[in-house]
Amino acid sequence: MKRREFLSKSGTVAGAGLILGAPSILKAAEGNNNKVNVALIGMGKQGRVLFEAMSNIPGIHFQTVCDIWDYNLDGGAKKVQALQGHMPTKYTDIDELLEKEKGLDVAIVATPDFWHSPHTVKCLDAGLHVYCEKMMSNTIDGARAMVRAMERNKKLCQIGHQRRSNPRYRYTLDHLINHHKICGTIVNINGQWNRAVKSSQDIKYSKRLTIDSDRLAKYGFKDMHQFMNWRFYRDLSGGPISDLGAHQIDVFNWFLGCQPKSVFASAGNDYFKTREHFDNVMAIFEYDSEQGPVRAFYQVLTTTSAGGGFYESFMGTDATIKISESAASSSIFRESTAPEWDDLIQRGYLRRKPAPPKPEATDGISSYASAAPEEFTIPGVLNKPPHQNHLENFFASVRGDATLNCDARHAFESEAPIFWVNPSALQKEPIIFTPEQLQV
Amino acid sequence: MKTELPEEVIEGSPRPKGVPNLSPETKKFPKFLVPEGTVLLSKDKKVTSSDDYPILGEVAQITDGEKEAGEGFFVELTEGTQWVQIDLEKSSPLYAILVWHFHSQKRVYHDVIVQVSDDPEFKSGVTTLFNNDYDDSSKLGKGTDNPYLETRYGLLVNGKGTKGRYVRLYSKGNTSNEMNNYIEVEVFGKPE
Repeated sequence: MKRREFLSKSGTVAGAGLILGAPSILKAAEGNNNKVNVALIGMGKQGRVLFEAMSNIPGIHFQTVCDIWDYNLDGGAKKVQALQGHMPTKYTDIDELLEKEKGLDVAIVATPDFWHSPHTVKCLDAGLHVYCEKMMSNTIDGARAMVRAMERNKKLCQIGHQRRSNPRYRYTLDHLINHHKICGTIVNINGQWNRAVKSSQDIKYSKRLTIDSDRLAKYGFKDMHQFMNWRFYRDLSGGPISDLGAHQIDVFNWFLGCQPKSVFASAGNDYFKTREHFDNVMAIFEYDSEQGPVRAFYQVLTTTSAGGGFYESFMGTDATIKISESAASSSIFRESTAPEWDDLIQRGYLRRKPAPPKPEATDGISSYASAAPEEFTIPGVLNKPPHQNHLENFFASVRGDATLNCDARHAFESEAPIFWVNPSALQKEPIIFTPEQLQV
Repeated sequence: MKTELPEEVIEGSPRPKGVPNLSPETKKFPKFLVPEGTVLLSKDKKVTSSDDYPILGEVAQITDGEKEAGEGFFVELTEGTQWVQIDLEKSSPLYAILVWHFHSQKRVYHDVIVQVSDDPEFKSGVTTLFNNDYDDSSKLGKGTDNPYLETRYGLLVNGKGTKGRYVRLYSKGNTSNEMNNYIEVEVFGKPE
């Protein structure tokens, strides 16, 4: 897809393939005094994170909760009760919920990845708007089905790439990269999410909370270990490149405004040898962007926190922007040959960091190195939970006051290349994308 | 003094702390001397709390000996200043109190206050052993102890031989959410 076409479908512009029926949006706004009735589908860790972010947004009524684990279901319902003063209805089975609950406007889907597509499609088909966690699905066909269901039902479907609503990211793209072009020509991208071994252990559970085997089997899990650690299993998730990498590779594609033309990946189970998914993945994407060729490297390592956690670096002829959800990991580095930025600094677009002390040239090597770049900070701090802005954008869109920052079609276009990383690593071959591989 | 430490497991992304005067992160269990004959008094002792209906789990888990990170090992009390209280059944000199709120994420609990008394209502004879409510937002008196990051090593509070039957612990949410959590509390003392 060309940059202009991609951009026209991204950001604040409504998608070409997404034709929103006005009545479907206004129903929530006018029918219930602006109150939006919400079903919480999945109240595990991520469901709770989303709930806590939503609890800061006015006008939401949490009507019902659904989870196959009584521990999550009861705990989630009690959280709702603590927030809004009365108990929501509770369901183990989503089909029963959709059959019995009346007046719902929205479903928040935070179930394991292999359930994202079936649950999202069911909710869209039932006439609800949906916010679904990323990665859209563990299969590309599952993701395609979500796009088709959104467009077939003319409902909203936001995918949880929350950086797309993060003010730091939006400011950096709109003002610094696109308007002021402070990177010059972006020639390379580097991104990573590296986690220490201690952050990658099996998730444990108290044995008194074991789900009976019939219920586990009904919902696709062979045992409690698989239920608690579904991210390790190939039939249930996309592994670390999907869990962690999807956020950042989405940023690559969003910022460049196009899809890559190829991927070449290498990966292995070098530490967690019994896990089905790779524990470390390195991938190179190649782009023909509007400004020229761009080569992007991404790594996700679950066995070391080396290199400072998670960030994306956009490396240009004039500057590199290193950006992250963490403000402390975000910086801009100006090349010594770049045009002066004094005007931007005076107008508050950038803040200069104090220059580091000059290293003494003692090893004879530093004379070959480039001058250390000046470092700048990106103004602004997100003082809300990381997902709140994205959810605010979703609920504003449900009320007809905004357009989605990451609807399912745009999310699919950005996520599609990610589905081909594991196959490339397994085949030990680059994959040159065909249109069919990246389209709905 | 020795205790069994839980395995280190960190889940999810670090959350911003924004807490002033944060103590350096505990990297190892501190060396702490207690009088000979000091034993764990709190195992399986009755626990009550200011929240009659915990959101997750049961308060009995606070003294059940399980300190692991993971689902189902912690109790979650509602938001605001909340307390849990352990009844040791007899008044004894106490030398150490260990507290694990929630150690699988780098978070800080607000207004951590640890008190000892022989009065179950904590209206008289109350000794405060730890208080990091630096701005007195819980209205129990301003504390001078520093906020700290949760780790698998827990918080070690010096009991200073304070005699008491009841141990009460307060908190007021944390840097990740508004809720109050406990995995385990251990009270060490010398039975009389």
